[in-house]
Amino acid sequence: MLTLFTDTDTDINPAVAAEYGYKLISMPYSVDAKTVFPYVDFETFDAHAFYDQLRAGVLPTTSAISKERYLEYFEPEFAAGNDILYVHFSRAMTNTFDAMDQAVSELKERFPERRFEEIDTKGITTISYAIVREVGDHLKAGKSLDEVLAWAKTEVDRFAMYFFADDLKFFRRSGRVSGLAATMGTLIGIRPIIFMSAEGKMVSCGKEKGRIRAMEHLVETVRELGDDVPSYRVCIGHTDAPDIARELGNMLVEALGPLKIEYVDVNPTAGSHCGPNGVGVCFHAKHR
Amino acid sequence: MLRGGAAALNERRQQINELNVFPIPDGDTGDNMYMTIEAGLEAAGGTLPELASAAAKGMLMGARGNSGVILSRLFAGISKGLQGGPETADVRAFHRAMQAGVEESYKAVSEPVEGTILTVLREGVQAAGGSRDLMEYFDLLVSAMDLALTHTPEQLPVLKQAGVVDSGGAGLLAIVEGMRDALEGRAVQESSASAQTPAAPKLDLDAFTEDSVLEYGYCTEFLLRLQRAKVDLDSFDERVLSDWLAAHGESLVFFRDGSIIKTHVHTHTPGEILNHCQQYGEFLTVKIENMTLQHHENHMEKLAPKPHKAFGVVAVASGEGLVQSFREMGVDEVIEGGQTMNPSVQRFIEAFDRVAADTVFVLPNNANILLAAQQAAAVYEGSDIRVIPCKTLGEGYFALANLDTSSGDADEIVRALSAAAQEVVTGMISRAIRTTREVKKGEWAGFSGKSILASGPDAESTLLALADALDAGSHDVCLVFSGQDADPSADLSAALGARFPRTEVIVQPGGQPVYDYILVLF
Repeated sequence: MLTLFTDTDTDINPAVAAEYGYKLISMPYSVDAKTVFPYVDFETFDAHAFYDQLRAGVLPTTSAISKERYLEYFEPEFAAGNDILYVHFSRAMTNTFDAMDQAVSELKERFPERRFEEIDTKGITTISYAIVREVGDHLKAGKSLDEVLAWAKTEVDRFAMYFFADDLKFFRRSGRVSGLAATMGTLIGIRPIIFMSAEGKMVSCGKEKGRIRAMEHLVETVRELGDDVPSYRVCIGHTDAPDIARELGNMLVEALGPLKIEYVDVNPTAGSHCGPNGVGVCFHAKHR
Repeated sequence: MLRGGAAALNERRQQINELNVFPIPDGDTGDNMYMTIEAGLEAAGGTLPELASAAAKGMLMGARGNSGVILSRLFAGISKGLQGGPETADVRAFHRAMQAGVEESYKAVSEPVEGTILTVLREGVQAAGGSRDLMEYFDLLVSAMDLALTHTPEQLPVLKQAGVVDSGGAGLLAIVEGMRDALEGRAVQESSASAQTPAAPKLDLDAFTEDSVLEYGYCTEFLLRLQRAKVDLDSFDERVLSDWLAAHGESLVFFRDGSIIKTHVHTHTPGEILNHCQQYGEFLTVKIENMTLQHHENHMEKLAPKPHKAFGVVAVASGEGLVQSFREMGVDEVIEGGQTMNPSVQRFIEAFDRVAADTVFVLPNNANILLAAQQAAAVYEGSDIRVIPCKTLGEGYFALANLDTSSGDADEIVRALSAAAQEVVTGMISRAIRTTREVKKGEWAGFSGKSILASGPDAESTLLALADALDAGSHDVCLVFSGQDADPSADLSAALGARFPRTEVIVQPGGQPVYDYILVLF
């Protein structure tokens, strides 16, 4: 048997996870020294309430999980004779996978016959969401683990994500975006455009005056970089900005024709680094 | 030689400032000693006794701070020791003069403390006593002073605690080393950066607020000329005065030279000290500084030393929201100022000092302030100052939003910032204080540059009319900063949004005086 895992940083919620049989590894964030494990400490993510806290000035922190916690997730599967496929958020954005590697190597000594495979989505939030669902779809369609791993080798890099944030102070604090201009902080009215690189990192690639120009930039990028976009899910992720997300969706349909658009709430752990009112689009592309 | 000593001191002035923890950690020993010796240099000339006398007199007049005063007394003693001697001193005569200098220095301090400049001086002179020539004298003097300096933390716990040696002693050692080098024909190169006279103390007046406690009192220094009308100069016993001062203050340095009394004292009530002393004469100079403020400045700088950086930004703004916006956008120093409050050249210079970057970009954000910024840039030598000719807050805002220093090329950055400033349209809403062709007194006027483009019975409707007049709909962003007296409702944002659907409307609290609204279109 194969057990599927993904984590909450991929925006997958328990309902979507259940569709494919994914088990969810909860990636925590902390507010006022209280650590919260999504979908462990709450059942439904109230995005509006969470991002309103950030609007009011709360700056959450995020933390890696321990080796022990990974053991708790994986050990029962190996003990039950199951193999594991973990589709996770980018290794390049965290050190949490060092703890996972330790846990896995420990388990492999005890269960040498068991397989542990992983697919690094080289991204976080919406882009990971799209890839996790694609993997789930392939497995549901009857593809083998090895076929899915082979697919991931070439296809992960074909999912691109471009987004803009409202306020760079969250990114600046986490230091997770490269290429930001030297003094860009809170730029009222200026939207930096950020994309997920092939290395699985967030990289700034310009800025636009105003939200409308920023959305036009995203539409233009999908048009230029997109590859067979209508055949794949187009995921529009947002940090409590449903109206802007819909507006972007409409603009995309207007520019590219009918699309399979899915709107996704960005999970609180990733959202802690982005801040509220951010919107991004993930699409099938020639390259990232 | 004296010049060599001054140059050597100047080289290490900042290091010496940073050592300063006793008696008050005000971080100015190096500056004070340098200004004292510089005053001596300006006065010096002629034969050795003449030179020594003139230098001592110059230092007396220019002495600053504890260490400066002690330094001036050392030279006064040396001068006294050299009077009546040959035009050039041999080593024994020089040693006698140095001993007189030690004696004078100790006399200047009401309660001499060991582990300070006094100890370093005394032990150095003691060790150099048996030298055969001046070269050997200075070699011995330097090495003994160096040794004495390293022992100062054992003698003075406050130094040990701070992990430093005595700053005054370090300053004196620098001077003596410089004199030795000059004697050996090795001149200290004055670096252009440090050869300037120290700037006025960098004080943040806001560091001492309505609720602050006067922790360290005032550093009070003055030169008092005894007056015949008030005292009998011949029989006046200055010890009576010094005893009174010692009882009413701390860190007293006091001496008399003819009819001049030099006093340095730390006190919480400088008025009382001055009133008391004025019964004996009149003041030639008076300097009073709040040491809590000085300490705060130095303490803050030590707590959070600013790393040296390639680029910095200084901007002028007023209003809490605007100041915060500029800060959050990465401005290092925001100078409070605007239409009715034009900052001085000095304020700019102080800001440049605090930024301490190789290149500083300046956003004056007002046509009336541009000139002061340019003047400050012209006289400032510490950094390459580039004034971006932003004439409105909107221009400054958008220029800043376009600041990208990654090229490292200051010229290119200036070009980009100036070009960005040109892209912006700024409008202002303010109440008319007189009737003109376009607006009645008491109504609101909407203007851009010098043209009144809209008027109305209230600020909000005038803003909408101004936005129309400035064709806000052709811009991507309509950013509105509300002033300290404005009360923008949610309707204002909605009304602007409905009028200009393709333009992003953002209303932010700016808190600026004078203008109810500042409209920034880009």
